[in-house]
Amino acid sequence: MLKNAFLTLLSLAIAIVGGGGSVWYALKVQDGVGAIRIGQWRAFPDIGTPSADPYSKARVAREGVLALGRAEGLSFVAERDAGGAELKRECTYTIEGGFPTARFWTLYAADQSLGVVETSRPRLAALQSYGVVRQPDNSVIISAGHRPMPGNWLLTDGFGRMYFVLTFYDTPIASSTGLSDVSLPRIVKVGCDA
Amino acid sequence: MRSLYAAMRRVFHAVLLGLLGAGIVHIVVLFLVPEFSERDAWSRLSMASDLYKMTRLDAEAGGAPVVKSVDPLFYATACRFDLGEGMVRIKAPGHVPFWSVSVYDRSGHNIYSFNDHTATGGVLDAVVLTPAQMIDVRKELPEELQGAIFVEAPIEEGIFVIRAFVPDDSWKPSVSRFFEQSSCELQDF
Repeated sequence: MLKNAFLTLLSLAIAIVGGGGSVWYALKVQDGVGAIRIGQWRAFPDIGTPSADPYSKARVAREGVLALGRAEGLSFVAERDAGGAELKRECTYTIEGGFPTARFWTLYAADQSLGVVETSRPRLAALQSYGVVRQPDNSVIISAGHRPMPGNWLLTDGFGRMYFVLTFYDTPIASSTGLSDVSLPRIVKVGCDA
Repeated sequence: MRSLYAAMRRVFHAVLLGLLGAGIVHIVVLFLVPEFSERDAWSRLSMASDLYKMTRLDAEAGGAPVVKSVDPLFYATACRFDLGEGMVRIKAPGHVPFWSVSVYDRSGHNIYSFNDHTATGGVLDAVVLTPAQMIDVRKELPEELQGAIFVEAPIEEGIFVIRAFVPDDSWKPSVSRFFEQSSCELQDF
């Protein structure tokens, strides 16, 4: 009798802990289903739409996200550099290359929750396309690091993991057909503070 | 020896049953999260303000941001509405470098979006209404609604969000003013 009760309890415990825990884990990892990868950049064009998968829907509900609409823009997130290493706030990076067609774009350095990183200076850790210097071939070279750098400087600060969030506004690539032949800038590590 | 074998088999049976149950619980919990979440955008906004009241989403207005993670170079404001009470009209006079608008349903799904290139003269003037209300309005379009953008949404409760680009600090006052002048009102018809 006691043995039966124990076995029932064991089954129930595995079901509830395993089921609940796996949902929690699936919602916690950034990498979800429905992601589109272009180089080091990742986008979720379907997130926040009624046609999103159940995992995206649960994440939207749990985190209170109001995702950008198709006519507004599309966000890309990078968490690794071209060498495959995780982006670190204490490192210096060069972001270079061409950008797809859009009315304008913004780029910012983000923390784990994808909020902009706090800087101890009166300058945002963000850049936008109207305020950058371009190369003769219309490509852009951006240096991201703690110390001021010539050209386009994206200020970062602090230590730990970092993400780059690149958002294109009023862009044809937000419609799913436009995403196939888009190329995004490369993120190359220059060096790190010890 | 035989009883040990039998006991092992029963434990194995229980574990297998548990894993099957875990799969079912996983699916059930996944579909219940959106239903019962108290941290979704609607719940957060309803804690911050009433229906038909524009509420700033960015941290600039003071305090922590109501809804997380908007672009740091953007300001955003939102109002909740209930189409069951009638159609809602959103207006924001003035010009900013870029604005865009999204209509979300109760659970935070983006159901319609447009930007300033869509609007007449770049001025934000929109009406959100249900298909049934649209039929009524079509019969006799009031003079004052002539230039408005009509957003037909098959929902009752929803959220209207305006986002505006702030290219640099010098634009902050005029974008803030743009939002202060914005209105979200129940439209009589």
